[in-house]
Amino acid sequence: MLQFIVLGLFAGSIYALASLGIVLTYKTTGVFNFAYGGIAMFCAYVFWQLRDGWGLDQWIAIPLLLLVIAPLLGLILELLFRLLSQQSAEVQIVVCLGVLAFFTTIVNLVFVRHPDDSVRNLSTVFSHGSFGLTSNVSVTWNEAGTFILAIVMGLGLYAMQRWTRLGTAMRAVVDNRDLAGLIAVNARTIGRAAWIISTVFAAVAGVLLSVQENLVTYVLPFLVIYSFAPAVFGRLTNLGLAFAGSLTLGLTINILQKYGSSGSLAKFETSLPYLALFVLLVVYGKRLTEVKSSLRATTSRAVADPWRGYVVGAVALILALVLGPQVFADSTVGALAQAMAYGVVAITVVVLTGWTGQISIAQMSFAGVGAFTTAHTVASLGALYFPLGVLFGILIAVPVSLLVGIPSLRLSGLFLALATMAFALVMDSIVFASASISGGLTGLDLTEAKLGPISFDTATSQYYLCAVALGVTGLFALWLRHGPVGRRLQMVRDSPNAAATLGASLTVTKLAVFAACAAIAAVGGALLAVTQQTVIPANFSFDTSLQLLLVVVIGGRTLISGAVIAAGFYVVRLLPVPATVNKYLPLGIALAVIAIAQEPDGIGRVMLNQFQKSAALLYRIGRRPRTPVAGRTSSPQAVRPSV
Amino acid sequence: MRFGGLVANDNIDLEVAPVGITGLIGPNGAGKTTLFNVLTGLNRPTSGSVAYDGQDISRWSPHRRARAGMSRTFQRLELFGGMTVRDNLLAAWEASIPGGVMGRRQSEGRQLVDEVIARLQLGAVAGRQTGELPTGIGRMVELGRALCTRPRLLLLDEPSSGLDAKETAHFKEILVEVTDPEQAVQSEDGRGAPAVLMVEHDVRLVMDVCRMITVLDFGKRIACGAPDEVRNDPAVIAAYLGEPAA
Repeated sequence: MLQFIVLGLFAGSIYALASLGIVLTYKTTGVFNFAYGGIAMFCAYVFWQLRDGWGLDQWIAIPLLLLVIAPLLGLILELLFRLLSQQSAEVQIVVCLGVLAFFTTIVNLVFVRHPDDSVRNLSTVFSHGSFGLTSNVSVTWNEAGTFILAIVMGLGLYAMQRWTRLGTAMRAVVDNRDLAGLIAVNARTIGRAAWIISTVFAAVAGVLLSVQENLVTYVLPFLVIYSFAPAVFGRLTNLGLAFAGSLTLGLTINILQKYGSSGSLAKFETSLPYLALFVLLVVYGKRLTEVKSSLRATTSRAVADPWRGYVVGAVALILALVLGPQVFADSTVGALAQAMAYGVVAITVVVLTGWTGQISIAQMSFAGVGAFTTAHTVASLGALYFPLGVLFGILIAVPVSLLVGIPSLRLSGLFLALATMAFALVMDSIVFASASISGGLTGLDLTEAKLGPISFDTATSQYYLCAVALGVTGLFALWLRHGPVGRRLQMVRDSPNAAATLGASLTVTKLAVFAACAAIAAVGGALLAVTQQTVIPANFSFDTSLQLLLVVVIGGRTLISGAVIAAGFYVVRLLPVPATVNKYLPLGIALAVIAIAQEPDGIGRVMLNQFQKSAALLYRIGRRPRTPVAGRTSSPQAVRPSV
Repeated sequence: MRFGGLVANDNIDLEVAPVGITGLIGPNGAGKTTLFNVLTGLNRPTSGSVAYDGQDISRWSPHRRARAGMSRTFQRLELFGGMTVRDNLLAAWEASIPGGVMGRRQSEGRQLVDEVIARLQLGAVAGRQTGELPTGIGRMVELGRALCTRPRLLLLDEPSSGLDAKETAHFKEILVEVTDPEQAVQSEDGRGAPAVLMVEHDVRLVMDVCRMITVLDFGKRIACGAPDEVRNDPAVIAAYLGEPAA
């Protein structure tokens, strides 16, 4: 038992460092650093490169990392997020996720050139060996050193906040940003200090974590996400609670490991931090208030005239149906079918994030529910029952979405994003990891699916299925957007207070959208399953949900065409493009997301503006100038589709 | 029967006349906006209760209160900036009726919206995005939006704030017109002019349009009566001029 307590305190102290860093930037600058795991991992790899790669002495490498590289990184991040401070909360969250994607891809590009490099050993920075605590419990110097270091750094941060000028100024900024400015506290300096300290903590946590868990690109960021739970436990503002929560979390995980080293409990301990994060968010609920300046969210502009969208959409659909299979090779047709299935899921991101302003990082999890349910149904009942499988998928996805939605929709933007993230990670670590549900790492087969007499076993038939699905979903969403439903979503997004005081129920609206999007995502997932013919958990992981969100944001999160562009990004990965394209595409995506503040509505908006400009040019010929008459009861713009 | 409402708070008894405009004035920080938030359900009162139309509505959600006929405007504009003026009004009408989002009776809503646009002289901007409109027109849109919910009690939170003298005069003219029972926008279900409770800084505007005025100071009601009575009330003079009450 004592051995597990030692291990627990050791693990907990690393989480503590990470959660302190997250809390610090959140409370002083209002930015929740989703990218923390990426930053920590990047710093760990830099340390490895300096010490083990280039053979620098450890006592040169450590100061170089902690006094030069990490602070520099902190300054760059501070600059980035200061430039974003005028943007809406959604944009900030999305850019932060883009930074996370940037660091994870850059590590893969720079440090993991060869598959053999994907797992590297990092030896301890402390002395090797161990000492005996009791006759049969020994503690390594690494564990002891880590624990003591965490305590020292934690107390140091506390003392700094308490007794130094900088700390006092920080607390003033936390209390009231505007007033702090008036008493000659420079919020920018404070922000810089917070980012530097936070990044240094990330570097320390990253190195210590890598010593324990090795340098593994696909594990480290997730281990840092463990520390989100204690950070939220401290309500993202209380350093002491975050520290205590981290140690508790470390202890709990390790004690569970003692009792549940085999069987179903083994899975539980890896998902415990995510479950804890979700439960904490739900329990705290409205008491979690966002540290944000009072800046209004930028609103997206609804397109006044939907007919152009209908026409373009319908023409594109018909062209795709008629020409697609004739023009492209069979393998391309198959890839396009997959991409269009992906596009169906992407539309749910547009509806949720773009139109309702709710960030969900779990849409691929709902797609996974649809995919696995369909695969199971077809496997046990036969190919003819494919439509029934899709229906089952919807019937499971909707209650699951309500399970997530009912408690978490009381949360504001950032916390909802965190809750969906926790949900996706729980799905990954419990549901999709269970072999009886997902068939394990190799997944389930879905080689045959039929809709009545039509069999979807060729690339062409799958192509038709997915094209129709994407076209119908897209046009239907567009139609809703320009009717009462669209107006309701826009009102809830633009001004929740006004919407409520006019009679719109926020809860019902958000919940209905959330559930509908889960249902559509489940259908998209089932289509993905049909086109991929196997359903693999990795294709529906948190990572894929994150990627989906990022490409939709680049494509244009307020436009259906944004979802189509997102599908375009997906298809590139499947086509025989030069290897360098696929190698650098994720980096390009991450950088494009970071730059999204320049055009928050993405590529789709740029294209639409161009389109409207050229259309306007054509329209101008032979058209009377229209002068609005004051007091006229119906203006020409009032023509809208009948509903 | 037309609406006759009574709104109560732990410290504040407020009676709103069933017709015409009731004014609520008080120095800065007197608790006027907070009172509005409590009335409309955006803030939950820490103690005490809110009664409306004889019912205790303290635990009602904001949208339920709105459906019961309570509508408001905001001191800091809360327009749906991404929508046109017309869509703002239409959305408000849809929000106010059960199942409005399902698109039933759309023609009825359009008719009401058209009439409100005409009455508030918003025809010229009906197709414009509200996010790009000046404050003066924005105030008018918020008034129109509230009217489109066919309110029985209309709460106006500092409608003249941010307006210049000309805009205020225009607003006053329209407000008097749409709240006059003789000229009010009639909806199909027979609801006519709403009772109005107006929080306002501009004392002259209040004196001009209100039949009854309640004066708040430090969360307490210090006077209540017709404009002339209130104007000469020693407690009111003290609160505004800072002299001890005689």
